[in-house]
Amino acid sequence: MALPSPPRDFARTTLGAHHGPLVRALAEAMLAHADGPTPARLDALVAEIDAFVSFASQTLRFGLLLMLEVLRFAPVLLLFRVATFGSLPREERVEVLERMEQSRLVVLTLVFAAWKSILCFVFFEHPEELAASGYSPVRRRHGRALPLVHAEAAE
Amino acid sequence: MIDGVVRGREVRRPLSLKADAVVVGSGAGGAVVARELACAGRDVVVLEEGGYYAAEHYATMTPTNTFRRMAREASLASAVGLGETPLIPVLSGKCVGGSSVLTGGVCFRIPDEVLHGWVHDLGLHALAAEALEEHFRAIERAVHVETVPDAMQSRSAELFVEGAARLGIPMKRLRRNTRGCRGEGRCNFGCPHGAKLSVDVSMLPDASAHGARIVSDALVERVVLDGSRAAGVRGRLLDETGEPAIPFEVTADVVVVACGSLHTPVLLRRSGLRARHLGRDLTLHPSTRVYAIFDERVDGWDGAFQSAYSDHFFESDGITLISAFGVPNLLAAGFPGVGARHRRYVELIPHMAAFGAMVHDDGGGRVRRWVSREPLVTYRMAARDRGRLFKAMRVLAEMAFAAGAREVLLPIFGAPPLRSVGELEARLADPPSARRVECVAFHPLGSAKMSARARDGVVRPSGETWEARGLYVADGSVLPTSIGVNSQLAIMAVARKIAHGIAPPAVPRAVRAFSWPRSPS
Repeated sequence: MALPSPPRDFARTTLGAHHGPLVRALAEAMLAHADGPTPARLDALVAEIDAFVSFASQTLRFGLLLMLEVLRFAPVLLLFRVATFGSLPREERVEVLERMEQSRLVVLTLVFAAWKSILCFVFFEHPEELAASGYSPVRRRHGRALPLVHAEAAE
Repeated sequence: MIDGVVRGREVRRPLSLKADAVVVGSGAGGAVVARELACAGRDVVVLEEGGYYAAEHYATMTPTNTFRRMAREASLASAVGLGETPLIPVLSGKCVGGSSVLTGGVCFRIPDEVLHGWVHDLGLHALAAEALEEHFRAIERAVHVETVPDAMQSRSAELFVEGAARLGIPMKRLRRNTRGCRGEGRCNFGCPHGAKLSVDVSMLPDASAHGARIVSDALVERVVLDGSRAAGVRGRLLDETGEPAIPFEVTADVVVVACGSLHTPVLLRRSGLRARHLGRDLTLHPSTRVYAIFDERVDGWDGAFQSAYSDHFFESDGITLISAFGVPNLLAAGFPGVGARHRRYVELIPHMAAFGAMVHDDGGGRVRRWVSREPLVTYRMAARDRGRLFKAMRVLAEMAFAAGAREVLLPIFGAPPLRSVGELEARLADPPSARRVECVAFHPLGSAKMSARARDGVVRPSGETWEARGLYVADGSVLPTSIGVNSQLAIMAVARKIAHGIAPPAVPRAVRAFSWPRSPS
């Protein structure tokens, strides 16, 4: 019997025109390292994140967008500066994020953690990032010739 | 592959079906009920809100593609912590096969001490060990429950066992529903080789072969009641945007709700049930982990995703220790820091092991309808369970150091790494707020619990609701308390028992005629 093709993905988007640059600025700071990420990778990442979160319910997506607005104005709270997150240079964005992670206001930490999780989920599964992290798709252990000891049943 | 699944998102006109039984939800509970009823000659319709992806498609999807297509809320669903409680992400499936597609395959029977409490404290003799025995045996055969052999252990799991051994903590090997596992370490994204016998591989094909009709992308919005008797269900098929659009109805004398602990209460409440316990008493098995960094290369992804556990602390502290690893992108989400500091840990993933634990919790969760199709889930962690959570964290970190870890990362937002047991003691001598703890849950249970008396729960010991005849619940929500261990086998066994208690139809199927739009589009 022929394998049916997978169903078409639902056609949805979440990030508006004013969210994309903010998510990009967030990703550039959160994932900053000596060699990147490259501008092209960041651009692609924003689209991949939109595709990922768009499968969530309207309520949850609204919550994620609300969190982005908290992030947008976090410098006011954390740096005492009248500036938006996206307008800061990368080093200062990193500082804002570090302060959010350590903040006594747990809600700021949760905003940080939620968006960090989404960024990491999507960014670090890219084949180049997997390779850079040392991940290898090769599996050897199931072929090991260890004696099979009869185990105590886990009941 | 399951033969003849109708994809609701491809249907363009309303559906109206008749059957002996309609099963809402195709996860561990619903799939078992569908199979048992279909094999007994009943005409069964299975309605699943999620999409249908053949098991052969799993290998083609990245982890996030799996999560967004097959998990509720793209894996971002969470229980909102009330008071001194962390925000707890709750992973559950939304696809044909339900959460069983996204589990590590771990199979436990319900611990004896839990069953003892159900019988002697709650009067649920239907859930006595001897009453469930034949059902556990049958399910274990059907889904091929086997012990993970030593050769399949990942190095991460070996270090977990070694650390425990040095502290005198006995370990046991896990059992899983697998056949031909190749140790890809990505069970919770659907097994790429079909080696995990989740219900979409084991139960639903059998149900379909016995005539069960399965419709995906079918959101059931209401159980139709005729007085105090179930008469069927109504809902809408999802359109190309994922929103409910095309109406459908299924007429049946038996309605089995198996949407899982987060959605079953919402559907029952929307259908007019008023039981006080509906949506209350939710337990989650809050789980936590530590990451341990070793000098040696670990490559924790090479081997069985989960393979060892310990119940050493179960009776005294309600803690089950369990080995687990993860794919790099999920691990990375749990590392502290930003930018270069975070990147350092990503580059250490090959030297990392993950040690996990779950808490046999005391309830405190609640599921409510609100503005969304998804429920509002809240959870207030009992003080006892907070203590258990921190104790689990301490034991895991001690095991990691005993195994030779040079750095340990606690699941506390922004916490710097620990380099010795002394630092661990200092850190936990004045523990942070539980709201800063990274926690996750995989086993929501108990939100439509079984009870011996109507006022104490939602369903009878038979699984039928106290309020409506012919309306059954057969998923994790009927379990009256948390069980402290992975729940899929328990759900399947209890669902099988419930299915066997559903009375046969008054008129045999052979004398009735139904039309089934095999190609309704």
